[in-house]
Amino acid sequence: MNVNANHSEWDAGVSVAPELPDIFPERRAETALWRFVRRNPLIVIGGVILGIMIVIALLAPWLGTMDPTALAPARRMRAPSSQYWFGTDALGRDLYSRVLYGARVSLTVGVMVAVVASVAGLAIGLVSGFVRWSDGILMRIMDGWMSIPPILLAIALVALMRASMTNVIIAISIAEIPRMARLVRGVVLSLREQPFVDAAIAAATPTPAIILRHILPNTVAPLIVQATFACGGAMIAEAILSFIGAGTPSITPSWGNIMAEGRSLWQIKPYIVFIPAAFLSITVLSVNLLGDGLRDALDPRSARSA
Amino acid sequence: MFQGLRRVIFYVLRRIITTVPVMAVVALFVFSLLYVTPGDPASVIAGDQASPADVERIRQGLHLDQPYLIRFAQWLWQILQGDLGRSIFTNLPVSTMIAQRVEPTLSLMIVTVSFAVSVAVPLGVIAAWRAGGLVDRLVMVFAVFGFSVPVFVVGYVLAYVLSVQLEWLPVQGYTPFSSGFWPWLRNLILPAVTLGFAYIALIARITRSAMLEVLQQDYVRTARAKGIGYGAILFVHALKNAAVPIVTVIGLGIALLIGGAVATESVFAVPGLGRLTIDAILQRDYPVIQAIVLLFSLVYVLVNLVVDLIYTLLDPRIRY
Repeated sequence: MNVNANHSEWDAGVSVAPELPDIFPERRAETALWRFVRRNPLIVIGGVILGIMIVIALLAPWLGTMDPTALAPARRMRAPSSQYWFGTDALGRDLYSRVLYGARVSLTVGVMVAVVASVAGLAIGLVSGFVRWSDGILMRIMDGWMSIPPILLAIALVALMRASMTNVIIAISIAEIPRMARLVRGVVLSLREQPFVDAAIAAATPTPAIILRHILPNTVAPLIVQATFACGGAMIAEAILSFIGAGTPSITPSWGNIMAEGRSLWQIKPYIVFIPAAFLSITVLSVNLLGDGLRDALDPRSARSA
Repeated sequence: MFQGLRRVIFYVLRRIITTVPVMAVVALFVFSLLYVTPGDPASVIAGDQASPADVERIRQGLHLDQPYLIRFAQWLWQILQGDLGRSIFTNLPVSTMIAQRVEPTLSLMIVTVSFAVSVAVPLGVIAAWRAGGLVDRLVMVFAVFGFSVPVFVVGYVLAYVLSVQLEWLPVQGYTPFSSGFWPWLRNLILPAVTLGFAYIALIARITRSAMLEVLQQDYVRTARAKGIGYGAILFVHALKNAAVPIVTVIGLGIALLIGGAVATESVFAVPGLGRLTIDAILQRDYPVIQAIVLLFSLVYVLVNLVVDLIYTLLDPRIRY
């Protein structure tokens, strides 16, 4: 817009040349940020909300008003007030503090699942896409693996491994891996037909170097997008696992297990369920918006159909 | 004609055979679940207060004293004969326990799928028709939002507003189909809407994008030029050609419903397979967990097989 304005000034024959060095660098610096915001509103909105949640998680000990595990039978089930901002639960614990600390577990589970599933999926996908004889076997295994409904698989795994945060992360990751592997394999197969890979092969580049230098960088963009969605999905899965009693133990509060503990009271004290639910949903929403934004930015081909 | 029929039969047979290795992998996974338990599976299943005799009984009941592959073969052979074993806790045959719980879950699934498809497809079609318009924006917002709220939270919000506050619908419970259609449906409305929430978002989103592609085709303009109304163009000509991705996602989304059913049944106290799953998990009733995971995976594979066959056979563009 500003550029156009300047054009019309030139058309009118106004000499602007002496002002250019002063005006342009400053404007460009200002518009670069603004242009990013305007072109990628989803990344910005998602990123900002997620950033706030991460800050809340990190600063929980300082933002919290009291010990999230302190029991106090005298102040059970208080409604939200100026002293207990979100009220107290059935054991008299301060919900505001618990919700702040809960951000830690949910975000950790989300991020760790995204990382673990991406790394494992990347490894399987690269092998499958590059080692021809393994492709058939690996993909049949992935097909079977994917046929077990993910939440059900995670539930069964946690139930049998004993509930802990590490096991919740492992279980949800395992349920997520085949989709990642499928994605990476698809990208690898299409990249392998590209001229630059032929060129690398013709130049006698060793296979590991081709994978590292030519294939891997090109799988990063779709993998990051998929990992973002996996992160959001994992936070939801953690909540569902906690809700049905197969999640993280309630000694460390998570949004999932706060809701799970509030479920017996939901008709009379709905806020015990609804407040952590709101935090969780907003966080997952921000992660999903971030994923949509990243996909639009990194993969323009799929942006239209999304 | 005869040639064509033979090709169809061969295709169907070939497709059915491809599900065998898939189910074999599922079976291997489900069987191996027992080995993810740290330490001695028998004592883990028995719990902390079990006597050595109990542990030994469970060990022998699960044939844990034999090598892995032999046990897998034995187990698979039993399953193929329809014997799913006995529950460690109730000592009832697992197949009986499942049979008792099938109706509510099946009812919930059927009502959810019918409801979700009849809401999501028109929504997606209208969103694509008026791309950028109000419905489109709402559908897109809902498409992201639907995946950001855990299914049980949707359930509690709906139940709180519609049942506790407005008292329009029963809060919880299930009425068997044999007690009449309306009482049966009345109890299923809330669970079905809850369970369908994310599913609707998924289907509407795919319908929209598939329709956007189809609506750009020349024959849509031709149909319009011939004076065919928008309704007929959208829902007859265009939707038919956009059907493959939509039907595919309806099939794939069943996985979402199966996971969600466990939580939904728990919220609304529906005595179905989801409830059985939770009980089995809390008690570590291993044969029951195994059977349920296997059953749901089989249902998922079969539904997608049927979906695949239907559109392959109905769509002349697909060669088989």
